[in-house]
Amino acid sequence: MDTLLAFGQRSGIYDFMHSAWGWPTVESLHFTGLCLLIGTVGVFDLRMLGVARGIPMHALHKLVPWGVGGYLLNVTTGVMFVVSAPDQYLFNPAFQVKLSLMAIAGLNVLFFYRFVFGPVRAAGANAVPASARTAAAVSLTCWVGVIVCGRLITYYRPPYHWCFWC
Amino acid sequence: MLLDYLVWLEETPFSTWMRESGPAFFSSLVFHSVAMGFVVGVHVATNLRILGVAPRVPLTLMRRFFSVLWVSLVVVSVSGVLLLAAYPAKGLTNPVFYFKLVAVLAALGITRALLRGCLRDPRYDDAPAPKRARWLAAVSLLLWAVAVTAGRFLAYTHNMMMASHQY
Repeated sequence: MDTLLAFGQRSGIYDFMHSAWGWPTVESLHFTGLCLLIGTVGVFDLRMLGVARGIPMHALHKLVPWGVGGYLLNVTTGVMFVVSAPDQYLFNPAFQVKLSLMAIAGLNVLFFYRFVFGPVRAAGANAVPASARTAAAVSLTCWVGVIVCGRLITYYRPPYHWCFWC
Repeated sequence: MLLDYLVWLEETPFSTWMRESGPAFFSSLVFHSVAMGFVVGVHVATNLRILGVAPRVPLTLMRRFFSVLWVSLVVVSVSGVLLLAAYPAKGLTNPVFYFKLVAVLAALGITRALLRGCLRDPRYDDAPAPKRARWLAAVSLLLWAVAVTAGRFLAYTHNMMMASHQY
């Protein structure tokens, strides 16, 4: 935790975030990144789950790089929050669950591109294999869960002993 | 005059319950955020498609995602009204709130125009969207970013939390 805080203070992120409009500005970017992710990856997941039948998967997948952009924006802004107030995050059960869901979503991405994307691409506009629907359901559940947990971070103001690893 | 009305509003049992029960307020916040993701998300996908990203997606079929959009729009509106019910003075006395409302309504106006235009016209399924539609899509994306930003700033720019604290 001290390392994170020291990094925040040395890099100037801490000072920026605690300046007049630093925190809300970065929060707005974080929410915008969320919309990019849901609007591309989430929409692609919905398509695999059977929404908007008729749209070819590989054609819709062209949106996903914008979602990756949103994800990178959110990792950057997320790190800016954490190094500016590490105690508010590391001990926070909502934050811990959020990171766990992100890890599951990450593994799901690896699984999807290794085993599922080939058949999905081949399916064109037709029904996708069951494995793709599972991957889509896991992805959508994780990302919605990430938003829920992100929102709940401000609900929990946890005592220090709640941290599992500190 | 307005303050008196706001005091009356925030002293209604429902408003008090929204503030004090804990889960009521936070579940509204959670629903507002998740539904925002899908409302803005479907707009992101559709507008990017109009702007020429993912050109092989038949444009008229993007409308099939709009059922998700309409449901999310209802959730966003209801949770938004509930959040407003908890702290009516906080939002209604803040110009940023009206700014956000105008941005959202303008963006939805563009959606309506696009739904009557290129999103219904099979000619553009595999041809680039008309220039006017591209402009509208770009402005729509900008308006959503403005609305999201204004929404976030509502938590920092309010003049008062509660009207009854002004006396």
